Amino acid sequence: MLKMNQQIVAGKRSENIRFLYDKYAGMLLGYVVEVTKDRAVAEKFLVNFFCNLSGQLDEHEWDGLDNWCQLQRLARERLEIFMFGTHRTEADRPVNLVMHGARDKFLDRLSDEQRHVFCEVYYYRKSIELLSSELNKTEDSIRKALKEAFAIMRKGGEN
Amino acid sequence: MVKINEYIESGILEAYVLGSASKAEAEELLYMKAKHPQVLEALLELEMDLEHIAQRMAIIPPVGTWEKIEAGINEVVKAKNSDALTLDMPFEDRGGRTKSRKSSQFIEVEAESGHMRIRKIWRWIFAGVFLLGKIFLACAIYFYLENRHNEKELEQLKNELKIHSPR
Repeated sequence: MLKMNQQIVAGKRSENIRFLYDKYAGMLLGYVVEVTKDRAVAEKFLVNFFCNLSGQLDEHEWDGLDNWCQLQRLARERLEIFMFGTHRTEADRPVNLVMHGARDKFLDRLSDEQRHVFCEVYYYRKSIELLSSELNKTEDSIRKALKEAFAIMRKGGEN
Repeated sequence: MVKINEYIESGILEAYVLGSASKAEAEELLYMKAKHPQVLEALLELEMDLEHIAQRMAIIPPVGTWEKIEAGINEVVKAKNSDALTLDMPFEDRGGRTKSRKSSQFIEVEAESGHMRIRKIWRWIFAGVFLLGKIFLACAIYFYLENRHNEKELEQLKNELKIHSPR
């Protein structure tokens, strides 16, 4: 009886994770490859992430509206620990911020500043405050650059 | 209305969806989202944009990735259930010695080691049986030796009788 229950639980959990995997695994892998700059590490992380997600599935609502944002947020948190442990330093970060292939084309539409702001925030979770002090610019201008980057990328996607 | 548009255009929403907004900014945004439908709408649009960006940067995972994940999920469920089974047992059935979650995990290890728990009364019964066994063994050896000695004496007597009897 217990074995049967185990199979049902495992089956249901596996089914839910499969749904998220089918829809978002490619997107997540693309994102993680850019952060880690290492395909093998990214694939290992992907397996690890979805296995762990099965244990936390009930802690989140998966209503479909912001599934990707939620999944990406969880992945970003876990990725930081996966790559750098609990103490991350700037030196730990993979070098080479150059994008590859289709992603190059996508980010090429942005100016240097927009690309820099977007990549630092999107891939490396840098705060607006930190970027503003690093680039010696106001927080408003950093937010503006980020907004413009989004607008250009949205426009690019529509074309 | 103008202020709301200014707020939406400020870039705070973009910073929020990317997780780089400060705590104060995030709190303000949640308030604005609840109060102004335009903010909510802009936020949903941004989340969609973010999904589209990720879609265009996607990489198809290699074949066999899902099989690895599925095996991992089954392991997680199995481990969770075996843990839950131990925790659901009454404390006296878990070994009676410990009541913590951590120590209850050792039950299985102990079961596999070949140890057996029995009531204390059996200790005295076993000791009694052991003692009785020893007494019976001592008696058996004593009677055996006694019997052998008697047999020897009898043999000796027979021989003497044979020697002294007239022919």
